[in-house]
Amino acid sequence: MKEYIDSGILEVFVMGAATDEEARELMYMKAKYPEVDEALKQLETDMEKIAGEMAISPPPHMWEKIEDEIDGLIRLENPAQPVKFRTSGDDQNKHKKAPPEDQFIPIESESNHMRLHKSWRWIFVAVFVLGKIFLGFAIYFYLENRQTRQQLQELKTEMRELKKR
Amino acid sequence: MNTRLQTSAPMGQSKSAAVLNLYNSYSAKLLGYIYEVVQNKPIAEQYLSAVFNDVPNELEEFSKSGTSAFCRLQIMAREKLVHFFEALENDTDKRAWENLPWVNNRYVTLMTSFQQQVFCDIHYQCKSAGSIAIELNKTEEEIRKTLKECFTIIRNGRINERVH
Repeated sequence: MKEYIDSGILEVFVMGAATDEEARELMYMKAKYPEVDEALKQLETDMEKIAGEMAISPPPHMWEKIEDEIDGLIRLENPAQPVKFRTSGDDQNKHKKAPPEDQFIPIESESNHMRLHKSWRWIFVAVFVLGKIFLGFAIYFYLENRQTRQQLQELKTEMRELKKR
Repeated sequence: MNTRLQTSAPMGQSKSAAVLNLYNSYSAKLLGYIYEVVQNKPIAEQYLSAVFNDVPNELEEFSKSGTSAFCRLQIMAREKLVHFFEALENDTDKRAWENLPWVNNRYVTLMTSFQQQVFCDIHYQCKSAGSIAIELNKTEEEIRKTLKECFTIIRNGRINERVH
């Protein structure tokens, strides 16, 4: 058992670099041997400690953004697709082009769904309402115009009759 | 401390609550890790957001994967960061990134250059043990052993901190 623990497979596993077969074997060993379980927990603590060294607090409103995204995804029941952030050669470190904070994450997706910011909802409502108003006006003026033409036609007929007399 | 995810609440609203729980516990550590990799705060924040957006779909995996919640999140982040490396389109970008000072980590500085290379290749560059073995002309077993040594150094470093 010590040989298994010392092989480094646990370290590879906690770093997500184990193959599926290695992971399955490790899960079996973990369930069977408490010392493997203990060693794995120890490693996980180590990983957290390493990360804790460089921890950075996220910006205050980050959770709200994530929650909005999650709510949208839950509603769509559409799993998120892999993301790829673009690089830019003229960046200071020649790394990533940093988009503005409010910009959406570009998602490469084969899905037919399109995700929009919530504020578009009000724009769509406004467009819908304005559309209805314009339609109302169009119908009103069409009827008015038709009535006027009828009246004009009647007047012309009357005038012709008067002329004949 | 129990670092496993508790998912006993009803699924609907509990998804968001479970993600919030994870976010409160690990977002700072995860952002720190991602920042070490990408060296750009706005991009690191976007990756963090992308990871947590995926959590609702992975909640089951959190319960059954056998790893701690933090390690699972870190693995998810690594999967996302693969696209970061794909985005390093040319050799100049790649070289510039490889020369970044992400060996600032106190524990990493305690390692030998070979140990640092193995640790950083896996931890920051998300490479597999197999690919590192090929790159460095070593066996996978040697890479694993080296990785184990790295963790021993980290653990000893922690113990020394406690003593002092």
